[in-house]
Amino acid sequence: MSTSSQAPAISKVPRRDWRALLTRHEMLLLYVLIAEWLFFYFAGTSTNRRGVVVGFGTWDRQFDILRHSCEIGLLALALTPVIITAGIDLSVGSLLGLCAILFGKLWHDGGLTIPVAMGITLGIGALAGALNAVLITMLRLPPLIVTLGTYSLFRGLAEAITRGSITYTDFPDNFLFIGQERWLGLPTQAWIFLSVALAVGLLLHRTTFGRAFRAIGLAPEGARYAGLPVERRLALVYVLAGLIAAIAAIIYTARLGQAKADAGSGYELFAITAVVLGGTSIFGGTGTIPGTLLGVAAIAVLKNGLACLPVVMRLNAAEEMSGLLTGALLLVALSASVLPKILSNLRPRRHTSTA
Amino acid sequence: MSSPLLALRQVVKNYGGVRALRGVDFDLRAGEVHALLGENGAGKSTLIKIVTGAHAPDGGTITIAGQLIAELTPAISRSLGIACIYQQPALFPDLTVAENLALRLDATTVHARVDWTARRARATALLARIGAAISPDAEVRSLSMPEQQLVEIACALGSGARIVIMDEPTASLTQKEQHLLYAVVHDLRKNGVGVIYISHRLEEIFALADRVTVLRDGQSVGTHALADINEAGLIRLMVGREVAQVYPAAQSAPGATVLSLQGVGCNASGVHDVSFEVRAGEIFGLGGLVGAGRTELARILFGLTPADYGQIKLAGETLELSSPQEAVSHGIAYVPEDRRRHGVVLELPLEQNITMAIHRRLFPTTWLSFNAERALALDYIRDLAVKCAGPDAPGGSLSGGNQQKVALARWLATRPKLLILDEPTQGVDIGAKTEIHKIIRRLAHEGLAVILISSDLPEVIGMSDRIGVMAHGTLRAILPGGSDPHTVMAAALGTAA
Repeated sequence: MSTSSQAPAISKVPRRDWRALLTRHEMLLLYVLIAEWLFFYFAGTSTNRRGVVVGFGTWDRQFDILRHSCEIGLLALALTPVIITAGIDLSVGSLLGLCAILFGKLWHDGGLTIPVAMGITLGIGALAGALNAVLITMLRLPPLIVTLGTYSLFRGLAEAITRGSITYTDFPDNFLFIGQERWLGLPTQAWIFLSVALAVGLLLHRTTFGRAFRAIGLAPEGARYAGLPVERRLALVYVLAGLIAAIAAIIYTARLGQAKADAGSGYELFAITAVVLGGTSIFGGTGTIPGTLLGVAAIAVLKNGLACLPVVMRLNAAEEMSGLLTGALLLVALSASVLPKILSNLRPRRHTSTA
Repeated sequence: MSSPLLALRQVVKNYGGVRALRGVDFDLRAGEVHALLGENGAGKSTLIKIVTGAHAPDGGTITIAGQLIAELTPAISRSLGIACIYQQPALFPDLTVAENLALRLDATTVHARVDWTARRARATALLARIGAAISPDAEVRSLSMPEQQLVEIACALGSGARIVIMDEPTASLTQKEQHLLYAVVHDLRKNGVGVIYISHRLEEIFALADRVTVLRDGQSVGTHALADINEAGLIRLMVGREVAQVYPAAQSAPGATVLSLQGVGCNASGVHDVSFEVRAGEIFGLGGLVGAGRTELARILFGLTPADYGQIKLAGETLELSSPQEAVSHGIAYVPEDRRRHGVVLELPLEQNITMAIHRRLFPTTWLSFNAERALALDYIRDLAVKCAGPDAPGGSLSGGNQQKVALARWLATRPKLLILDEPTQGVDIGAKTEIHKIIRRLAHEGLAVILISSDLPEVIGMSDRIGVMAHGTLRAILPGGSDPHTVMAAALGTAA
């Protein structure tokens, strides 16, 4: 082994610079989230005539926020690996609807027990994800178009099965426990959401799978030349997305106590917004699960907080305002993530290549 | 004789530290076919880019029809009557031939009515003039590559070009189409057009050209009338004297056969009937010109474009390679030519780049171990003397030579039996080049079988134990290392010199 005389000075570089850590996208988003929360805490909390605190600053409201963000949160977790591979999955919201209907039908019409119906529903979700995966990896069709197709297909199937009118209800209490009660202090579904977040986070940040996703997102050809199984890894992210959409479907059904065909419509757009807000690049390669969780929280707090503001309540415009502000927040976050790069380009570069 | 159509004097062009042209003189007369000849990287493309205005020269003068040109942009170049026909025609595939011609030739005015009859008539006339049997209403996408080239030529004619540049126009043409093209070139010459003709085919140059200029290392090494020079003379000019660069001496006694190819070919990539053997400890050079099929052969061996026929044996075992994963699992490593797109992921840290091909071995449970990764990366960074800020520096922050070392480290980490290096020193500065040469020789000495693809003639001759020379998709000759450059070049050009 030859050792060169100009041996490079290595390992002097600290692994993480605290200043870089504080200005990372996730940290910026955390500041925004805290500011947002404090604003709504002071502007959205009041005491009613009987002296009871109502509005944003109550524990009930906080749990409500958590409860309502689980489904979109799960879809955002499903989409993070997909977007990191520079793909997209528009079909997750529709798949949520289809899985909800099939779950209800299996239990109600099929006479299956709840656990069996759940198992089959998860399988169907994974299978639907596999359909996307096959079209994208084997036929090499663009993910945007494939999932736009299955977006209509899955919703259409759900409508067809219910003929647009049937809604499955009267689920047993021990099932509704998942969506409407608390367990160990938190809404039950929050535990499921957090477990999935932990699992996807570990997959993405601590395994070779996550490495492959990133490499594919940054340089699909480069990943192939490195001998990575590009097709299999891509297939995995779409199957995983389908599976997580099925979990979201079960939680949705348990929260509302009913399974209907329009379940989760439009959720995919909120989920994509949360993922991108959380710092995942839509061009692939970068993104983290903590970032996605913060993105989900920022949107959920905004949506619920607005509903507590007196002025918004008077106008009865919570939905409209939250849509408007979510959009604005996303655009500000995107610009903010590009701004440091533009600024550093104006200054002379530090890391010039050494020939 | 009147002043030349085009005269370049002492033209200089630098790309960063690379001196692509170092004071080239070139002139083109009206009614002349002037061939431009040179090895890969001799500066032909750079010269063309300067004449077409794509790149501005760093020094020297350009005179067109006796007029000194201060600034040349693609638009000005076109308006001065310079047209270039590239190997890859740049037409709109969804438009018809007549529409494509109109787009190039019609002046754009705001409210012009489209005169379809005139368009079609002009297209018909231009196509007839070059003897092409192409309908003006045919969609360009339905035409073959050579037909598209003919449309490009029709375009050049229609624009009244006085200077036509043809960059390897016959590379994809059949025999019949070549003769059609020769007739067109003769026709152009008769009409007083000056043609700059770039080709690697010597017989073509002798058949067509009046004069030839040979470029070597960014300099013109002479302009000759073809009547005054023969093939051997041209080859001597192209190759020049041996560059006084010292290559690490071959010191290995080759061991057992590692790779053996028997009549291997692939229809999709145009490689056919390739047979050779590479032994442990041997550097087998693959020489030839760009487009000879060397990278295509490497892609077959790496499973990227599987072979259609023939037998590939690695260490005695017959392989069916249909994906890079299989090639890697059998111990084949390929350091690709396009370093920035395929060799390293520029955004990822060095350590992740280095471990990318050994995920399974380094992380057998799929669970990442950052310590193991860093230790391994540091080993290779030290061993190959990669100059970097640290193992967590992104690949894109390194110089070309150091990126190449990282790409090499990724594949050495797989502990391969066979290492294929595709242009490992292209675009690398001279210091790093020497270091890479030493590393390659050391690896061979340690018992690795190496295939070295290089368009750098002194490199392939100096580094290789044996040299396989490819031309037109097949292996033409196997020569001993240190062979006479003229012999190698003659084999690469497909002539028996």
